[in-house]
Amino acid sequence: MKTESVHLNEDQLICAVVDESDLTVAVRNHLFACPACQNEKQQFEQELKILGHMAEKFVPLHRKAVSSLPERQGFWKNVFLSPVKWPRFAAGLTVILLMVGIWGSPQFETGYEEEIVQTAWESDEDQQMTTDIRVLEGYTLPEFYLDVSGETYGYFDEEFLEFVAPLEENQIHSEVIITDSVA
Amino acid sequence: MFFESKSCFQRLSQESHSELMTDRKDQISELVEDARAGNRMAADQLVSLFHEDIFRMVYYRTSSRMDAEDLTQDIFVQMFKNLRSLKDAGRFRAWLFRIALNRIRDFYRKKSVMAFWGTTVEFDDTDHSDAVPHETPADKLIMEKEFLNQLNQFTDKLSKMEREVFILRFIDHLGIREIADTLKKGESTIKTHLYRALKKFRQTPGIHDLLKGT
Repeated sequence: MKTESVHLNEDQLICAVVDESDLTVAVRNHLFACPACQNEKQQFEQELKILGHMAEKFVPLHRKAVSSLPERQGFWKNVFLSPVKWPRFAAGLTVILLMVGIWGSPQFETGYEEEIVQTAWESDEDQQMTTDIRVLEGYTLPEFYLDVSGETYGYFDEEFLEFVAPLEENQIHSEVIITDSVA
Repeated sequence: MFFESKSCFQRLSQESHSELMTDRKDQISELVEDARAGNRMAADQLVSLFHEDIFRMVYYRTSSRMDAEDLTQDIFVQMFKNLRSLKDAGRFRAWLFRIALNRIRDFYRKKSVMAFWGTTVEFDDTDHSDAVPHETPADKLIMEKEFLNQLNQFTDKLSKMEREVFILRFIDHLGIREIADTLKKGESTIKTHLYRALKKFRQTPGIHDLLKGT
């Protein structure tokens, strides 16, 4: 009997409209028995129904026939009829033109013969560089210092030096040969 | 005695309503199965059953008849393409509404990209004059504008999720479970959002006056 005296409050009323089964048993029993609360709930639901009806009423007429099959349009018609596709189409076309331009430029026209010439020229350059490195390995000092150290006197070969100033070993050896010949 | 008979009547009407709903669901499930098997007639029947609902749903989210027409066509093409991926034919309605919501999201994404590049084409986004045929009386037109104005004022107060749930429930007439399936959320989450939206609805006098005045 107590439940009959306590009407549904605003939150319970909203809860009843959302889902009546979410109300507690006592509140549900009260709603079932109380005409005032039922009336209030029905009014609220009616208002929402009217909202739905009005929404249906004010929807414009659908003029196009709807089908589950896609409309068959040609590619060009599709592109030019849809403004959404213009930027995409333009971007794609630009990329293709750029690629054609790059590949068609003289820089990319490399024949087989040109490649051979290029390789030969590169190998000559490599050889020259190797020679330079070897020279540098032999004469690491600049020319001025090579003069000071006597490294530049390359024209005095070993035979000439032996003639001018023979090695001590060779002197003894020659003396022995002379003595042997005298004997 | 009066209350007993009233509650008995309510129960009977609820039972007959639920029986009708079950019959309709069974019919839809059969059509879905047939359409899956490649039956064009069944697919077209599905289109004729749902095209008004989908068009209305899209219209109240785009506010443009032309966009709504194009999107409705797209949605049904998508439906036909992806029908084989639908696992439970009994949940076709929620599945179709999910496709519709995704297409609307794509539409707004495209629109924002186009606005960024300065290529937006505005047709009739704010003008609802073409929403009704030319023979519509002036007072109906005024009423329509007033309704859309009040509805927009109310939905602007709602969060994104509250708005979506409210419109799906009371304008698209989906059940709680169908909304949960459509939005891929739990039923309790949907109820919470719906509760909040209804609370705000009760606190908005403009739309109340309009609905009571009709």
